Amino acid sequence: MRRANLVEKDMVSIGTLKDLTNVFESLASTQVAKVKNNAQTGQEFFNLLWERYTSLRIDPRKRITERDGIGDLDRKVLVLLSAEAGLSGDLDQRMIESMQTEYDPSNTDIVVLGSHGANQLSQREIPYIRLFQVPESDVYIDVAPVIDVLMPYKTITVYFEEYLSLGQQEVRRMDLVSSIKTMTDELEEGTMTDFDTIFEPSIEEIAYMMEASMMSLALAQAILQSGLAQAASRFNAMTVAEDRASDLLRDYTMEFHRAKRAENDRRLREVLVSIKKKRREQAGSMI
Amino acid sequence: MRMAKLDFEERIKVIARAPFHVYYDGEASAFSAKNAVGDFSILPGHADFFSMLEPCKVEIINGETITSFDVESGLVTVRDNLVYLFVNV
Repeated sequence: MRRANLVEKDMVSIGTLKDLTNVFESLASTQVAKVKNNAQTGQEFFNLLWERYTSLRIDPRKRITERDGIGDLDRKVLVLLSAEAGLSGDLDQRMIESMQTEYDPSNTDIVVLGSHGANQLSQREIPYIRLFQVPESDVYIDVAPVIDVLMPYKTITVYFEEYLSLGQQEVRRMDLVSSIKTMTDELEEGTMTDFDTIFEPSIEEIAYMMEASMMSLALAQAILQSGLAQAASRFNAMTVAEDRASDLLRDYTMEFHRAKRAENDRRLREVLVSIKKKRREQAGSMI
Repeated sequence: MRMAKLDFEERIKVIARAPFHVYYDGEASAFSAKNAVGDFSILPGHADFFSMLEPCKVEIINGETITSFDVESGLVTVRDNLVYLFVNV
């Protein structure tokens, strides 16, 4: 059995670890509370706008995604929306595993947002062409520099983490360009064409202005969702770590008390033995 | 295309919002803003309409109450007396 003072030292370390995980858990919880409302309000806004946008029907040849300089590069790009720092559980790892199923280095480039994802890719020796930092924010960040890099690609696929609940986050995949292109495929109910709707300026100009901004909005919303999911994942990871630290602390406390009792017992035994010895000596001298 | 009809009992429903802010959500009698063509107003019974806004002051009139706010950019859609204004898109 270890000595009580050594166990006590470990107990102090584990106690500090428990306090730290508690602080990280509180920080993550604050971050979730801060981002959640905006992420959900932003999602409602985006869904409404997307509904209106996808009801537009125009000549496909006039679309921004069919114009010069857009989609010229005959390669696809995978965009990885990861965390800026560690301590976000295994979400980024799961996302990279999902992404790897469609990654072919011969025709695919990777753009990463967040240094944690970049580190994970480097560890797996998967190259990426650009890394963007993602500030922790509860509002949309400016994604124009990312969109500029993505625009030349024929196919743009975004991998991000979606917040379902505090206990559940999922890896999602979104095809930015194809979700816009498929709009013109069929004329279903609820569509808006220049036969039945007044467009000011023209429908082509509106579509031209909207396509770039919808792409930016979709990416910004995905980044916001991703940030929320990462904060929730961090909260879960810290909750688990704190639980483990509590269990460990309980075990150490038990071990400490046992060691302490064993030490007391040993001392008591030593005292008793010496008393007995003393008595024997006294009895011997009296004879 | 439907023509505007003068029915003062009829109302429009207006939802004006930015990604993280709701400017207005409720019934109204008129909606005014400005696009590349010029100033315009939406009244009940307006034809289906889809427009990008220029920087302007948006006014939503509901009886005696006028709600107004400035926008730098925006998108307005009208269909079946339902007006959506997406601010800053």
